[in-house]
Amino acid sequence: MNGQQIQSKIISMEIDVLKAVRQRTLDQLTEGPFVKEARLFFLLLPFFNGEQWSDKMETSARTVAIVYAALHAHDRVKEEMPISKEQQLTVLAGDFYSGIYYQLLAEGKNIEMVQKLATAIIQVSEKKASFHELAIQQPEQVEETATVIETALLNAFYKENGFGHYKQLMEQSLLYIRYTEELETLKKGEFSYLLKLLSRSLVHSTFIERWLVGRLEALGNEILESINDCELDFELKNILLHQIIPHRHSAEPLTREG
Amino acid sequence: MEKMKLKLLYSDLKPELELIEKELEQAVDSESLLLNDASLHLLQAGGKRIRPVFVLLAGKFGDYDIELLKRVAVPLELIHMASLVHDDVIDDSEIRRGRPTVKSEWNNSVAMYTGDFILARALERITEIESPRIHDILSKTLIEVCRGEIIQIEDKYRLDQSLRDYLRRIKRKTALLISSSCELGALVAGTDEKTAAHLRRFGYFIGMSFQIIDDILDFTASDQELGKPAGSDFIQGNITLPILYARQNPQIYQMLRDNLNQDISDEKRLEIVRTIRTSSAVDEAKRMSERYLEKALKELDYLPKGPAMKTMRKIAFFIGKRKF
Repeated sequence: MNGQQIQSKIISMEIDVLKAVRQRTLDQLTEGPFVKEARLFFLLLPFFNGEQWSDKMETSARTVAIVYAALHAHDRVKEEMPISKEQQLTVLAGDFYSGIYYQLLAEGKNIEMVQKLATAIIQVSEKKASFHELAIQQPEQVEETATVIETALLNAFYKENGFGHYKQLMEQSLLYIRYTEELETLKKGEFSYLLKLLSRSLVHSTFIERWLVGRLEALGNEILESINDCELDFELKNILLHQIIPHRHSAEPLTREG
Repeated sequence: MEKMKLKLLYSDLKPELELIEKELEQAVDSESLLLNDASLHLLQAGGKRIRPVFVLLAGKFGDYDIELLKRVAVPLELIHMASLVHDDVIDDSEIRRGRPTVKSEWNNSVAMYTGDFILARALERITEIESPRIHDILSKTLIEVCRGEIIQIEDKYRLDQSLRDYLRRIKRKTALLISSSCELGALVAGTDEKTAAHLRRFGYFIGMSFQIIDDILDFTASDQELGKPAGSDFIQGNITLPILYARQNPQIYQMLRDNLNQDISDEKRLEIVRTIRTSSAVDEAKRMSERYLEKALKELDYLPKGPAMKTMRKIAFFIGKRKF
């Protein structure tokens, strides 16, 4: 599968999500459903890599994307009060998308996936809540928090469909992308929830930056190993390294052997 | 006091409701101390548990099995709870049932995560039931409830909306979940289709009546009885039935128009509440509620007579007359 086909499949998934959650007021007054491209890429990775892909899996993948959109909508709700009309509708957009996820899976009689995704949402919510707790988390615990937030939903999908062999690569890559974003935020002098959590144990921005850079380097190497373990085809490896994972400028050019 | 009276009506269900209360506590148990606290905070504020009650009563018309029925009753109450936490963010409510709301005790983000967590727990629990029909009904209900909430925001501060707009909104916002509680209770207990349909319609009519009474009470009950400031609906821009009737008086209309979507003083709020309370709007709204109540009772006539039907009838009457 070449880059263009991959891109077009990702766009087609975005359109399917849009269609599934269409609602006039929400379409007009909110940002609409948003799912990071990298998450969609990993959602579809088994398909891109030639795994058997049924209609049931396609629906299931779409619902995972919808749940990501639901949680993203709720992340956008600001802490300041009272909230604007657009924000009020954003709260409802998240709830509405959750209803659609349940309905889609219920229609397809895939109740097991409803359960798996619900469990993943619980895990993600618990980890996000830890941003607001006073307890200090060591950097390794913060990493676990970030991993669950980024990957729990995708893992539910992989587990349901026997795609566990992509788990490691997906986790490393999404964590790599998250850390890259966090590093950029830090460089701008801003603090996200995750950075605030890190700052409780690492205290100073310089230490946080150093830790993030160190983890990015380590993850970069781990990703290269995992790519080989997953037996991805050459095109897919290239796209993953040069389009999906940002700023991997140090990534060595790949040979056909990997 | 009123809540106690209501509980007396379904005292036959006391052991089962205690079991459901325990299950609710277990359901919101979380690894996260914060989510645990926030969910328990909400749970311990109490509530009428009207949805589980209707599930159980509807179950009495079939093969009553509390182990099966609780699998529907608990998720339905959790869904209701989750929507309350998010509603408080939308309405910027500080107080619910006399206690600080989750968003005011913590913040909006914690309220968002708490709602997501509780809803996910509800879905996790409901998957213990395999019947596709149950999931079909519940998922559609969830979506319709959301649509109702979206419409409510669209309709906010729209003093010129029609009665139809209002009824369409409360149908989705409240009546559907009560209607589904009755229908799901019936289906889980294996009643025949006709019985389930009558129970569904009973739940729908009673839900409409319940919400209209709730909207009346916002003007007729005291701050203390409500556990929040009287007139909150108007302050938040929710145009309810008493307002729709009261606006027919040109003077009241002008007063409502002038104060809608304004940062009004407590004195002004109480003046508006007093004006609506002493107008004919309250009686007119009560009459509308009674019409739904009568329809609900008519549905009960089609059901086999017995203790469950008697309790449902009593609850229906109570809802029509409750004071808060």
